[in-house]
Amino acid sequence: MSFEDWVRNGWASQHQSTGEEIEKLLALADRDLASCATAGLATDWRFAIAYNAALQSATAALAAAGYRASHEAHHHRVIQSLAFTIGAGRELIRRFDAFRKKRNMSSYEMGGTISEKEAGEMAAFAAHLRQQVERWIREKHREFKL
Amino acid sequence: MISAALFGQTRRAILALLYSHPEQSYYLRHLVRSAGVGLGAAQREVNRLSDAGIIRRTVSGNQVFYQANPECPVFGDLKGLMVKTAGVADVLRAALAPLAAQIRLAFIYGSVAKLAQRNGSDVDLMIVGQPTFGEIVSALGPAQETLAREINPTVYSPAEFRSKLKAGHHFVSAVIGGVKVFLIGDERELRRLGAKRLGKPASEHW
Repeated sequence: MSFEDWVRNGWASQHQSTGEEIEKLLALADRDLASCATAGLATDWRFAIAYNAALQSATAALAAAGYRASHEAHHHRVIQSLAFTIGAGRELIRRFDAFRKKRNMSSYEMGGTISEKEAGEMAAFAAHLRQQVERWIREKHREFKL
Repeated sequence: MISAALFGQTRRAILALLYSHPEQSYYLRHLVRSAGVGLGAAQREVNRLSDAGIIRRTVSGNQVFYQANPECPVFGDLKGLMVKTAGVADVLRAALAPLAAQIRLAFIYGSVAKLAQRNGSDVDLMIVGQPTFGEIVSALGPAQETLAREINPTVYSPAEFRSKLKAGHHFVSAVIGGVKVFLIGDERELRRLGAKRLGKPASEHW
């Protein structure tokens, strides 16, 4: 699989990004990382905000690579694309995708299904991914002058 | 393992497959491939099991199909036994084995525990212990592929689980009060973690 296959399958389209767009996406990730540390937030909510931060970072990497994920199964695609952008391993992607399912369950089925331990892990994961993505863009896509 | 002591390898594999997917029928070669047993031994077993009415044999054209027999008087018991000892629970128990020393309690809840699952129901799993959500997801990865089912773990530290129980947290209370299939630990361990009211053991429903 490659991004060319993805485009052929209709999973992604080519996208000419700008430094401004990428900075905006990373700023959204930073905003969410800061928000999820707010004291007194409900666990589910803290988890959802941290998840959003991680998704923004992955979207920034995808944009830097010159693509945008399709609307259908959007989150799933953005997560899987980390294999082609930052070279994420199977474990990282499996973990992120498990977080995605957890978020879906908690928002649509039953509240309170997320433990504090899981919300903490989601936040640490998002913070780490944020750093990895920025490092990768700086190294591989100097054209965006991050 | 309980089912390995009760049944020979081939019978166990066939019963586990048919009773874990009671809505599905299999032709012999499919059964042989999926259960990983020999053709001759499988043929002898399906003959004995269908003679006893434990499985149903149907002929369609020149194909013969086998399926769990819902009219068998011990259908519910066998299904329960298989889920508990040779089906989903067995696969998950094996997957969690490397982390078992750090896990106080692990059990299936929700539709799979209630045996109400349709083909492809997600497996809801509650875990209380030291491992991280990430470690649990990694450990369960291959099991998810084997079972061809989504596994949804929720991972609590013992301290958080205790305090949620004490506070009457609605999700934890609902899960504790519902049907459970224990993979690691038991009702006693659950009481040690602070559960007062006992939930329904899965066997009451079987």
